[in-house]
Amino acid sequence: MSQLSPIICDNGTGFSKIGFAGNSDPSFVFPTAIATRGPAAQQSRAPAVPSKPGHLASKRGVEDLDFFIGDEALANAKTPGYGVHYPIRHGMIDNWDYMERYWEQTIFKYLRAEPEDHYFLLTEPPLNAPENREQTAEIFFESFNIKGLYIAVQAVLALAASWTSNRVTDRTLTGTVIDSGDGVTHVIPCAEGYVIGSAIKHIPIAGRDISQFVLNLMRERGEMASVPPEDQLRVAGKVKEQYSYVCQDIVREFRKYDQEPYKYFERYEGEHSVTGRKYGVDVGYERFLAPEIFFNPEIYSSDFLTPLSDTVDDVIQQSPIDVRRGLYKNIVLSGGSTMFQHFGNRLKRDLKVIVDRRLDASALASGSTQKSSGVEVDVISHKHQRYAVWFGGSLLASLPEFYQSCHTKAQYDEIGPSICRRYQIFGTAL
Amino acid sequence: MILLEAHNVIIQQTLTEKFVKAGSVDVKFVDYDGVRFRISTPEKKTKLLLSMHIRCWDELLNYGALEVLQREYGARLQATPEPDYNVSIEIDLESIPESQEERDAFIMSAALFKRNALAAPFELAFKEFKDLEAAESGKGNFMEVHYRDEEAIYIQASPDRVTVIFSTVFSDETDRIFGKVFLQEFVDARRLPAIQNAPQVLYSNREPPLEIRHVPGLRNSEDMGYVTFVLFPRHFSNPSVSAATISHIQLFRDYLHYHIKCSKAYMHSRMRHRVAEFQKVLNRARPEVAQTERKTISGKTMVSR
Repeated sequence: MSQLSPIICDNGTGFSKIGFAGNSDPSFVFPTAIATRGPAAQQSRAPAVPSKPGHLASKRGVEDLDFFIGDEALANAKTPGYGVHYPIRHGMIDNWDYMERYWEQTIFKYLRAEPEDHYFLLTEPPLNAPENREQTAEIFFESFNIKGLYIAVQAVLALAASWTSNRVTDRTLTGTVIDSGDGVTHVIPCAEGYVIGSAIKHIPIAGRDISQFVLNLMRERGEMASVPPEDQLRVAGKVKEQYSYVCQDIVREFRKYDQEPYKYFERYEGEHSVTGRKYGVDVGYERFLAPEIFFNPEIYSSDFLTPLSDTVDDVIQQSPIDVRRGLYKNIVLSGGSTMFQHFGNRLKRDLKVIVDRRLDASALASGSTQKSSGVEVDVISHKHQRYAVWFGGSLLASLPEFYQSCHTKAQYDEIGPSICRRYQIFGTAL
Repeated sequence: MILLEAHNVIIQQTLTEKFVKAGSVDVKFVDYDGVRFRISTPEKKTKLLLSMHIRCWDELLNYGALEVLQREYGARLQATPEPDYNVSIEIDLESIPESQEERDAFIMSAALFKRNALAAPFELAFKEFKDLEAAESGKGNFMEVHYRDEEAIYIQASPDRVTVIFSTVFSDETDRIFGKVFLQEFVDARRLPAIQNAPQVLYSNREPPLEIRHVPGLRNSEDMGYVTFVLFPRHFSNPSVSAATISHIQLFRDYLHYHIKCSKAYMHSRMRHRVAEFQKVLNRARPEVAQTERKTISGKTMVSR
């Protein structure tokens, strides 16, 4: 019997990406939310304790089965008696009870897979505590009796996803990952599949901030007057997704827009979500200003002022000297907020300027006449960037080595959850 | 969610999406019991090909699966299935129904692809039952469907009932015990007045029931369980009731295993709660250490950080 394809489960703070290995897109992308009976505020509520003896069915209801996940959870948020919970906070699992039930429904209702027949690949954020891995392994091996488990670091999967880009020639797991989702942007250096934990940096600018910035710009111009207040943030988000791009030179871009406004201004048409009234807004400078907050954060926030390129440079400079070349050469983008057109080119240009300036300065300081051969800087963008982590998982799990690298149920039974503290890297062309 | 749904969510979602806007697609996915699916657009964007691989296809063919699928999908059923799969249907996006209701109904019927294929032996048994009822004696065809590696469904019609027997394997010791409790509870729960109409359920661990003792190759080990359902005419005389019966009984094995897993998850949440409670008690019981100010000889204060 041919092996059934492994299941890839990437549970993020905002959204979960779930699907089968070998596909190019996840089968399901839905919010990591669970709606259960009871108020939302209470944390880790005790399950109801049986009161009367008698038939088991009369002893206790089926409250533990009465819940929804994903989009259905949000749809039921307003139903009286239900409360919505987000079991993952800052990438780490916060409430194991909810997470266990969330997985239960993911597997049985959406994937319709018998967990006993499948291998699973799960993801974890960098610097995840090993205890969390053990807990995860316990749930998957003991509750679901899965065949085998592999827990991969998200950044490493993002690197693997970049192998599909035609600009990548060697399948290496050394590189810098810029992972920008909705809440926060991480810059993570990886050397041969291992994250250099001490050099990771976080940037408090991500998708949500870009939407907010677009909204501010449009409000200032008086564009949002015709849009109902409850729709404004959503409209700003749409404008960001559909029209924004990264420019190479702000001043020239402004001049272009002023000379030929009809050519560059776009119009966004929307509809009121309740009354159905139509409205339209003009989209102008925000098209190129929105992603600009990565490169010139001072236009948006007053407390975080380091441009993305400086942060990336800092991260690489803090990494061990023998991997820096590899890190500069392979900068990989991942996540929805790196999807802007020309984002990679701009980052590459800015970074190149910093690197070259440093080389010149050191050449000057040493006083030697010998010229450095230079440092190659390259930013890889590819078409699976949005779900790069999931896609990397799908790619790795379809390799034959995957099954050998997994921890199997038999190994788990023999050794226990501590087995999951160790994972081996595979798939590189080393 | 107490009952598992009969339709496949991925088929439903993909088709709904493609009906609105055609586009090339190639996805492979699975369903319960090792069924593999593939949706692809091999020729052009408006021609979707949905293929299924099902383990017990040869047996299903004997029991008239092709006729059932022919009835459901008509000309869309392909004469030669895609290589590596057992059966394919082609959905031409240019010839789909116009109205939204008809479209939804069509999408639903495609999402029930596996259910329809597996319905064949049940429908055949219900048909045989009608003949036997008229003749008032005899036994129907003894049908075996090996839907998993070591597990099978056995179906046989008699003049007054249809018997369906499931064999199931529990891979884990804990699962076996949960399953046993669960199935015994199943037998007990039927005594409640509210569900008197449910089919009769018998459960035996290890020992195969009398009806299938003669079948060769039955494994007689501790992790095997046999569940017998006795369906009476009221469960399948009416077409809509019989369709519901088939959908539910097909998923019985998955339903059972799903609930074993749910019970385990429930147990785990109780354990976590209990541990948290004990931890509180322990924290309260910690003896208070008297904090005395410690000084060095020169008079400096020692502060522990």
